[in-house]
Amino acid sequence: MHHDKIDTDALVIGGGIAGLQAALDLADQGFRVLIVEKQPSIGGKMIGLSKVFPTLDCCSCICTPRMAEAEHHPNIAIMTYTEVRHVRREGDRFIADLVKKPRYVDEDKCTGCRLCEYACNTELPHEFEGDLGVRKAIYVPFSNAVPQVALLDLENCILCGRCEKVCPVGAIDFLQQPQETVVRAGTVVVATGYETIRTDFKKEYGQGRLPNVLGALQVERLLAPHGPYGRVLRPSDGKVPDSIAYVQCAGSRDRSAGVSYCSRVCCMYAIKQAMLLCGTLPLADITIYYMDIRAFGKGFEQFYQNAKAMGIEFVKAKVASITEDQQQNPIVRIEVIEEDGRVEQRQHDMAVLSLGLVPGWDPREVGLAAPAPDGFIRCTQPMIAPCRTPDEGVFVAGCAAGPKDIPDSIIEAGAAAMEAAAYLHEHTHVAGKETTTTCMK
Amino acid sequence: MDKSQAQDPLREADNGATAHTLRIGVYVCHCGGNISDVVDVERVVQAASGLSNGVVTRHYPAMCSETGQNLIIDDISNEKLDRVVVAACSPSLHEHTFRAAVARAGKNAYLYEHVNIREQVSWCGKSDPDGATNKAIRLVGAGVAKARLLRPLAPISMDAKRHVTVVGGGVSGLRAARDLARIGLAVTLIERSASLGGHMAQWHLVYPTEDKARDLLRELVDEVIGDPNITVHTRAEVIEASGYVGNFLLRVEPEHITVETGAIVLATGFDLYQPQEGEFGYGQYPEVITLDQLERMLDPEGPTSGRLERNGRAVNNVCLIHCVGSRQIEGIHQPGPDGKLNEYCSRVCCTATLRAAGEIRRRFPRTNVFELYRDIRTYGRGHEEYYDEASRLGVLFCRYEADRPPVVSPAEPKKGPGLICAKHPPGRSGKLNLVPFSAEEPDDSALVVQVKDTLTFGEELEIPADLVVLVTGMVPREIDTLVDQLKLSRSADGFLQEVHPKLRPVELAVNGLFVAGTCQAPMDISESCAAGSAAAAKAAALLASGRIELDPFLAPVDLDVCRGEGKCVEACQYQKAVTLVEVERDGRKVRHAEVNSALCNGCGMCTAVCPTGAIQVEGWRLDQFDAMVDALVADYAETEVSHA
Amino acid sequence: MLPADRAQVPKILILATEACAYPGADNVGQIHAEYPANTYVVRVPAPVMFSEPFYLHCFEKGIAGIIVMSCGHECPYPGAYDTLATRISRVHELMGERGIQTNRLRLCAVCTVCSKAFLKEVHQMHELLTSTV
Ligand SMILES: Cc1cc2nc3c(=O)[nH]c(=O)nc-3n(C[C@H](O)[C@H](O)[C@H](O)COP(=O)(O)OP(=O)(O)OC[C@H]3O[C@@H](n4cnc5c(N)ncnc54)[C@H](O)[C@@H]3O)c2cc1C
Ligand SMILES: Cc1cc2nc3c(=O)[nH]c(=O)nc-3n(C[C@H](O)[C@H](O)[C@H](O)COP(=O)(O)OP(=O)(O)OC[C@H]3O[C@@H](n4cnc5c(N)ncnc54)[C@H](O)[C@@H]3O)c2cc1C
Ligand code: SF4
Repeated sequence: MHHDKIDTDALVIGGGIAGLQAALDLADQGFRVLIVEKQPSIGGKMIGLSKVFPTLDCCSCICTPRMAEAEHHPNIAIMTYTEVRHVRREGDRFIADLVKKPRYVDEDKCTGCRLCEYACNTELPHEFEGDLGVRKAIYVPFSNAVPQVALLDLENCILCGRCEKVCPVGAIDFLQQPQETVVRAGTVVVATGYETIRTDFKKEYGQGRLPNVLGALQVERLLAPHGPYGRVLRPSDGKVPDSIAYVQCAGSRDRSAGVSYCSRVCCMYAIKQAMLLCGTLPLADITIYYMDIRAFGKGFEQFYQNAKAMGIEFVKAKVASITEDQQQNPIVRIEVIEEDGRVEQRQHDMAVLSLGLVPGWDPREVGLAAPAPDGFIRCTQPMIAPCRTPDEGVFVAGCAAGPKDIPDSIIEAGAAAMEAAAYLHEHTHVAGKETTTTCMK
Repeated sequence: MDKSQAQDPLREADNGATAHTLRIGVYVCHCGGNISDVVDVERVVQAASGLSNGVVTRHYPAMCSETGQNLIIDDISNEKLDRVVVAACSPSLHEHTFRAAVARAGKNAYLYEHVNIREQVSWCGKSDPDGATNKAIRLVGAGVAKARLLRPLAPISMDAKRHVTVVGGGVSGLRAARDLARIGLAVTLIERSASLGGHMAQWHLVYPTEDKARDLLRELVDEVIGDPNITVHTRAEVIEASGYVGNFLLRVEPEHITVETGAIVLATGFDLYQPQEGEFGYGQYPEVITLDQLERMLDPEGPTSGRLERNGRAVNNVCLIHCVGSRQIEGIHQPGPDGKLNEYCSRVCCTATLRAAGEIRRRFPRTNVFELYRDIRTYGRGHEEYYDEASRLGVLFCRYEADRPPVVSPAEPKKGPGLICAKHPPGRSGKLNLVPFSAEEPDDSALVVQVKDTLTFGEELEIPADLVVLVTGMVPREIDTLVDQLKLSRSADGFLQEVHPKLRPVELAVNGLFVAGTCQAPMDISESCAAGSAAAAKAAALLASGRIELDPFLAPVDLDVCRGEGKCVEACQYQKAVTLVEVERDGRKVRHAEVNSALCNGCGMCTAVCPTGAIQVEGWRLDQFDAMVDALVADYAETEVSHA
Repeated sequence: MLPADRAQVPKILILATEACAYPGADNVGQIHAEYPANTYVVRVPAPVMFSEPFYLHCFEKGIAGIIVMSCGHECPYPGAYDTLATRISRVHELMGERGIQTNRLRLCAVCTVCSKAFLKEVHQMHELLTSTV
């Protein structure tokens, strides 16, 4: 097997917005950075969102420039579709073992033309579209993916060879092998982000089997300008929904689901989605079932009050269960917290679970310190040095250290970069000493 | 036209060639069929040859490949090319690749023009190959036309002071100062008050770690004071500021010092909301206090030595009213003396209150604690636990609607044994029961708080209270001098406004200015420190090398053409990016516009209004656009396939 | 060689902002959506740099329709969008005075993934020009 060795100042694990920002803030100070991303594209969750609260900026429009900046930065190297196997300390350096998964497409040759994708006849649910749309067995991950390189899903490929025939640059390589790389780095930034809790986390909520009960990230895709259906439809029968329910704290503040904390962004993203739905489906009734509305950030409260003024209905109630009727309309059973505390059943055309944010990665897998009891990376000095972790020289940013929104993730990324830079200075790896990433084959 | 060409810096760069005799190389990429399957690249090359004096025109399967780039590099030296045009994929992918190739051949990288014939021609014109080919020809024509008028550009680079000034010595400013010093930058920290630490110095125990705030602060303050790279000025204020990114000049009073600095971090913090006279009985009844006063009361080193007492007597019933001075709604709340409503949520007060409520229940188990809230916003890591804990400790929660705020009034003494509320079972989901006060413990609370509790069928409750705590939040602090001198912008809520709320949360609109902590918006200690570090990271990146590199795409003024009318000065949105200056020229005093490249952002607002065309954005000059349009409408493309 | 009428197809000039609309136009290509070939996208940092005469000259030179695709309120340059909008209204007035159909100049906002908005604008302009020119 082919082993690469890379020497760099900082290793950033995770290429979501937090990882990208941390990398940029380090690279701009003259440090060499390697970003390792396990997905085939950088961008993290943010690149799949529709618009962002509370400004309602188009998410892709503010995320793509950051991705391009990282891609073209002279001090940043990016490895996508790559996993970290192990991180260990050797003197004052970290040694990380990486494995680049085979794409079965030569990254250097592929131009992202998608001829293979058009030629392929195998259709599969598209993960980037929350499984709502379809993709081929060979595909460019999504329209503004970085890098714009196709990926062959060998597991689902029928090996018909069409892609190989049409590829104008001969990039298809069925025999590609995993590639190991050893990285020596002066510091590590962990920016592995979050996952939303699985829709089957609670048996009372249909266990992910009700077609018209969607997770919030799927609705982000429905609302995205280039989403799976091109408009908002419900999955079971393509009907335009007239009545949509939001179930807040689905997998947050709920011990029975194993998540006792607040996921911090769900109130705001639900309000955002509700407002966007009001825009696309002006006649639809939208109800948000909630415990507390946590509109705590800059401009959030005003956003919430605007949503109320738009006629979005906020009902303080706990959702006990969700079932469906024969037309597959979700039936939401609520316990009203206010007024008389009555129990009620309400029928909607579509229900959205405001799914909580849970950690997607356990640092112990690669030999780093155990996470905090909530499962996110443990912070040793949360008050005055919030990015420090139990592993000296390893810093954390973004949702890897607990749920937060984009600006808070970006701020934390800046802070982690600052800590990492100071750490490098204090351990004599001053920027500019070694100016190029050396790749010793 | 002739005149400006005579002085054109381009002439020197091009050894006297005029736009029409320039040697232009045109390269058309097949992109392995992505382009050439739709666009007839040979026809494009033929047409291009006619347009570009026919020096070098080539088509090649993959221009971005090493061989493709080497074609350009070799041609530049062998064919003495003055300009290069590549027609390929989108410039977002490979413009920088080809610029770099041109630079590697020893040419100025900006003598390069990129034409997009993949995303914007072949990929969107499959079913009309002829149309696509013609479109490609016209676009290449436009690219060549622009290329003729390109000028060599140099990135603008200027010296910068490797020094940062931090204004405000609260926790966010301390954090920023210390981080910058750690990487070797010189820092001046300017604090208005007599001591460092800001509001945090007042708090005893703080969420979410239950650390002693002053211990945490002491650690940081010691680091700052002990750091040789940091100069601290207390009781000091910036009263005048001038300069621009990399080179600001600050005048600090009362010590009469001037600070030359490369970047400024604003960390001036917040002010506590001061309730209006009579707001929930504030100022009327001595039993009504604010949250910060309660925090002081719970502090063993505070005014009551940590005892919970009012008027010399222990407190039996504490009633905390949330959201006072925050989350105000037009039509419901009264605007403050400045005529403004605080529509925002203060973010920290819910958790701070729950923390205090829990502490009271733990330290004074006989004291009843009531929290009257609108929403409980324990959003952060380790916050929800305070809510759970407070419920577990028997804090009683009532929820009120914004339009039905609680009312504080004196208790009528004759009521004697009163009513006390208790939730059964205890906890926030329990139902409120009204339990008569036992005769042995007659309630002598001075105040009663009436509230319509939406958690219990909208019941009107009367809560006895001998201490009412108004949960007051944060308001923007008065920093008018700084706002005026540094041209800061404030958002509608009065806090400092970052340049982009999503993506650039610690940068201000003026280059070289950064923001950290609660002067931007309410945040807690952890968040203030993260912001302090993030602002430091930005300042560090800016000053890392001691030189600041700016994009060359700015708007210089052609002094031969400028008549000094000042239209540009009116149009420019960037404060003082363009100004009128008076200079001696050929023995005469003349006025002309002058652009400060450190302030110009290259938007071209000035270009549109300049009556003489003297001010142009480099790389995007209007004559270049005119030439492109001429090429797009020219008569050649469809009819003349090859150069006659 | 092409049929003579080919040369007569009215030309549409699209001024697309570097930050939003130009990547938006690229996005249309990336999804391989088609639109008429008589459209020429020109990249600009901020269309606010063009004065009124620039547009009038374009029409004089033979451009049949102009679509200014801006970033709208997501414009990275403060104040530029509003100034641009005012300027375009002014150009509309001047076009009116010169007898140029004012709908031959459009101002719209196109974001990096607004392929639908892009296509709609192009098709509308194309239709307008082919039915009237
Ligand atoms: C439905 C929904 C809507 C939202 N809407 C908004 C909004 O409108 N506004 C807003 O501000 N916020 C919003 N958010 C929050 C926003 O998504 C997050 O703040 C942001 O994405 C956090 O970025 P991150 O980089 O920390 O994490 P992520 O985006 O999760 O990125 C982490 C990256 O790390 C990679 N990774 C993980 N583990 C590894 C590993 N072991 N090795 C290598 N790579 C790894 C992942 O593949 C991923 O690319 C929303 C969230 C949800 C769920
Ligand atoms: C009642 C209450 C309880 C709280 N409890 C907690 C808690 O338990 N846990 C927690 O995490 N957070 C808590 N907070 C929040 C915490 O106090 C703030 O997050 C923190 O103090 C913010 O620090 P700062 O540096 O941004 O601002 P500040 O603390 O306000 O410091 C700003 C500094 O700048 C100085 N300054 C102002 N103007 C100028 C000028 N023009 N020139 C020079 N200097 C200037 C000021 O004198 C001050 O020293 C609480 C807040 C309140 C109101
Ligand atoms: S944090 Fe403060 S302002 Fe916000 S809801 Fe809680 S008490 Fe009200």
